[in-house]
Amino acid sequence: MKNLIITILTLFSIMALASTAQAHDPKEHMKDAEKPNCAAMKDMDHSKMDMNDPVMQAMMKQCMASMHGDDEASEASPGDHDEHMKHDAPPNDDETSAAPDDNHHEKPEASEETPGAEHSH
Amino acid sequence: MTLSKPFGCIRCLSVAAIVIGLGGIGFVYSGLYPMHADVPHNDFTYWVLETLRERSIDRASGNIQVPADIDSSDRLLAGGADYNDMCAGCHLSPGQKDSDLSLGLYPAPPNLAAAPGEHGDEPTQQAQRRFWIIKHGIKGSGMPAWGSGHDDDRIWNMVAFLEKLPALSPEQYQILSARAETGDGHH
Repeated sequence: MKNLIITILTLFSIMALASTAQAHDPKEHMKDAEKPNCAAMKDMDHSKMDMNDPVMQAMMKQCMASMHGDDEASEASPGDHDEHMKHDAPPNDDETSAAPDDNHHEKPEASEETPGAEHSH
Repeated sequence: MTLSKPFGCIRCLSVAAIVIGLGGIGFVYSGLYPMHADVPHNDFTYWVLETLRERSIDRASGNIQVPADIDSSDRLLAGGADYNDMCAGCHLSPGQKDSDLSLGLYPAPPNLAAAPGEHGDEPTQQAQRRFWIIKHGIKGSGMPAWGSGHDDDRIWNMVAFLEKLPALSPEQYQILSARAETGDGHH
């Protein structure tokens, strides 16, 4: 009887720990995630768009990724999307035309706090 | 028997310190200080708490190494969705003036979509401070310590997004903060 109680308590503890670990997984937010409204980019003033601006590059990547996801979901012909992106994408910007699988950002050379800062509060 | 002057002075100061200390403890236990969030601190208490907070954050965040790629579009994109999910409720988004949380919290959370550079810090110092605040939170302010469930890299992504946030239009914010299904774990 004692072993049974210990087993049940252990199982509950493991389940609670597992749910805690997943609590802030970005995929948890996907259920009610809002899709990017990339159509709004058409209404933006293209003459003021600086393709070297990280904001613009990020928007292009987001919309490319979103369309790529739509393609996979609907299995639609990519022709329409390619044509659409030619309108928005810069002619010679390699980063903005990268496939979503290339979107991994490199790890920074030093992105963590120094030990001193970690323990100083 | 008479006491010498310096000894008498020390004795007076000791008595005064004890009286002030006991008075302070008595005040704490009396429950007279208003703790409700809809009544602001008096100027002295606010100054003490603000100075304590700012000096503590400056000291603790001063040695944090800011990643070289903090301005990259990938970091910006990765941080946007997390900001929208975890921060916008209190710190607002472009075009938003207030929320229930921003109105009700005390001290009021800063509007990060509007303020272009809090405290007049240098960009590096501001990034250090923001990283530290997101990771460790701030006692008694409603700001949680996100470091318990988020690694440093993910927090830096949010810092990268914060740097661009004041310049974003509502349309740009919507695109950058949406969680697109990329299939590569980017979001």
